[in-house]
Amino acid sequence: MKKLFLGLAPALALVAIAAWSTCRVVGAGAGVPDDRAWAAAAAVRAQHRPGDLIVFAPGWVDPVGRLHLGDLIPLEMAGRQDADRYGVIWELAVRGARAPETAGLRPGWQRGFAGVSVRRFERTPVEVVADLVEVAAAGPGRLRVGGQVARGPQVVLAEVGFTPRRCVQVVPAPGREIEVTFPAVTLGRELVGGVGLADVFTRRDVRTPIELVVRVGEQEVARARAGVDDGWVRWRGATTPGTADVTVVARALGGARARDRLVCFAAEARR
Amino acid sequence: MSGRAGPAPRWLRPALALGLGLLALALVLAAQRDVGIARDETVYMGHGSKYARWWLDLVGGKDGTLSEQTITAHWGGRGMTDNNREHPPLMKTLFGLSELVLHDELGVAGEVTAYRAPTAAMFALLVVVVFLWASRLRGLAVGVIAALLTLCLPRAFFHAGLACFDAPIATLWVATLWAYWRGLSSRRWAVAAGVVWGLALATKHNAFLLPFAIAPHFVWVALRHHLPATGRSAGGAARALGRGLREHWPLVASLVVLGPLVLVALWPWLWFDTVAHLRDWLRFHLDHVHYNFEYLGRNWNAPPFPWHVALVTTLLTVPAATLAAAAVGAAVWRREGRAAAAAGRRDDGAAGVLLVLSVVVAMGPFFLGSTPIFGAEKHWAAAIPSLCIAAAVGVVWAARRAAAAARAHAPGLATRAAVARGLEPAAVAVVGLAIVGAAAIETGHAQPRALTHYNAIAGGAPGGADLGMNRQFWGEAARGVLPFLRTRAPAAGAPARPVYSHDASPAWGLYVRDRLLPPTLRDSGREEAGVASSQLALVVHERHFNRHDYMIWAAYRTVRPVFVLRVDGVPVVTVYERPATGR
Repeated sequence: MKKLFLGLAPALALVAIAAWSTCRVVGAGAGVPDDRAWAAAAAVRAQHRPGDLIVFAPGWVDPVGRLHLGDLIPLEMAGRQDADRYGVIWELAVRGARAPETAGLRPGWQRGFAGVSVRRFERTPVEVVADLVEVAAAGPGRLRVGGQVARGPQVVLAEVGFTPRRCVQVVPAPGREIEVTFPAVTLGRELVGGVGLADVFTRRDVRTPIELVVRVGEQEVARARAGVDDGWVRWRGATTPGTADVTVVARALGGARARDRLVCFAAEARR
Repeated sequence: MSGRAGPAPRWLRPALALGLGLLALALVLAAQRDVGIARDETVYMGHGSKYARWWLDLVGGKDGTLSEQTITAHWGGRGMTDNNREHPPLMKTLFGLSELVLHDELGVAGEVTAYRAPTAAMFALLVVVVFLWASRLRGLAVGVIAALLTLCLPRAFFHAGLACFDAPIATLWVATLWAYWRGLSSRRWAVAAGVVWGLALATKHNAFLLPFAIAPHFVWVALRHHLPATGRSAGGAARALGRGLREHWPLVASLVVLGPLVLVALWPWLWFDTVAHLRDWLRFHLDHVHYNFEYLGRNWNAPPFPWHVALVTTLLTVPAATLAAAAVGAAVWRREGRAAAAAGRRDDGAAGVLLVLSVVVAMGPFFLGSTPIFGAEKHWAAAIPSLCIAAAVGVVWAARRAAAAARAHAPGLATRAAVARGLEPAAVAVVGLAIVGAAAIETGHAQPRALTHYNAIAGGAPGGADLGMNRQFWGEAARGVLPFLRTRAPAAGAPARPVYSHDASPAWGLYVRDRLLPPTLRDSGREEAGVASSQLALVVHERHFNRHDYMIWAAYRTVRPVFVLRVDGVPVVTVYERPATGR
């Protein structure tokens, strides 16, 4: 009997693998919730309040999530610098995935809708006393710009590290720096922001990094460096509550070859 | 080793070859109708028609056709990509001739199908070559199974339906190796080897790698045959190699002389300033721009690339059952080769070594970390038929072993002649059907969006997306949203609705000509200006294309799409519509 089994084993194993692989490939789509499941999950809009953050996981399912709930996601929320200012986060996830925004949080409420897991997280949000992107968007003429400018500053929705970022974009002359001063900014105890290189093609063609220096008055409070593969680099610095000029220096490192550095930054003054 | 049920009738082998070839051709031609037009195809189609017209002018005796000026105007130019001179012309010329004959003259095929027919025919030829080679090596059963497994490769089957070079170069790569192998024992085949290599050179620059498979094999064969007589020393090895070269001089001469001559003969751009034009061609590929490509969750567009791209991508795209059978077959083949060598018998090991070298050389550049990884498995597609042949060996070995075990366990079976005769073929049929069936179902399931397909090891298309593997390229998948776009076409008499067609822009005109789109859904143009003037917009999902979503969000003032095309739940194309208040 053992001889028979050993003789048959390779053939049986191949047939079993063939059957397994067929079921796994053909049935793969059944493991991803369809529009009916998403439509049911989208019923959470009844509990959603303006200002609640909605995120989807895994990242590749994002277009489907936006198809069903995209009207609840303003551009400013989609292009956020981070999730810290949101007290309520709705996470809609499939295949057991989790969104990075909810890492370490425990859901206060959750429910499954035919494969779409909906979780509601609540936490104490940070209090933003000034948003430099909003300042730039509201009054670009109020900004003081120095240094060697190729383009900018302008408020854009840019691709940084393949994520959307609503940011102030500046392009220094090759190998040079730009200073953008935001006058009389209301400050809290910290200034928190992010910076990165926008546009995948200029990142590919020119591989030099950039550096960001943030000053409050004459004092440097933060410094960050972002290379072509670093994505959105977060930075933070301690500040004294009050009002002061905030200057952001964007530097294209690497000399004359450091052209087309689309420096994209955002910052919030937090209480 | 030609099967164990007695010699097959002489007509059977050619009949099977013909049947397999026709089956492959018919299936590919039928399947490609639902495959979108790839960005590169539009370039090759246009230039192919131009090249074909030039040849017709030449045959028709048109004055000035052979002038340097006319050749340059059709085949070259000052710029590196003028008249698509960065790619050799064989397949493009065939695309153009096919379109002229099948579409313009005979009207038996649509425009796109006619352009694509030569690739389908080339892929059918690959299936035939694999059958002929494998059946010659290991019998008809191995030949048929190897050929069917080659046909049932989801990604290769997809590329076989495109007017591009990847399927043809895989065919001509394998055909060159086959002709070379036959040429070791036949003068006719020796001549053919040079010609086929020339055709490969005239198809794609990958063919320049073939000597790196052929030369080591030739040395190995020469040493194996002559070393016993010349002695095992450096001098003996040199003498053995010399004897091999003398013995096979027609083959060597054919490859060295005929191959390059065929390339030059088929490419008028090389008829003057040959060295400079050859140098420009190769320099283009040595300095090729690194397109963006997603692999294991990261976008890659600059070296160093991961060394394991070819290995992992093959493991995740070739059907798992084929891979498992190939592992069995490779082990069996190696064991048999060793046993034959130990017994002093000649075996088919020389072919086995050649098939292994084919894999090593086709995939080798991708282990260096400096070779661009865009295009993934299509760039080492020539390696995969070796796996299919090994898989067929594994299938037949496992089936025969099972039949032998059954006979031994139930001796009564062996005494009944009819049962004894039928047991082994039946076992081969069952195991073969299981493996080929699995590959066939997977290939069918993967079409027409096979670039999104991943195998059972990955977990299908969603598993591939979870792993952060590339979902598609060339904008082909836009074909899948055309039915939706038609529902958004303006009513008769209403103004046109421009569409930001993204990566499908080069194909838009062909879609309109093919009546897949009404002219009122015209292409709005490229990048920000195209988005700004559009009423509808689509994004073909590749990681580096996320920026197109963001451009559209900013212009339309919404992140909400109106349609998402999915493959097994994985988004591949998203369509946006400008809200009434969005402008």
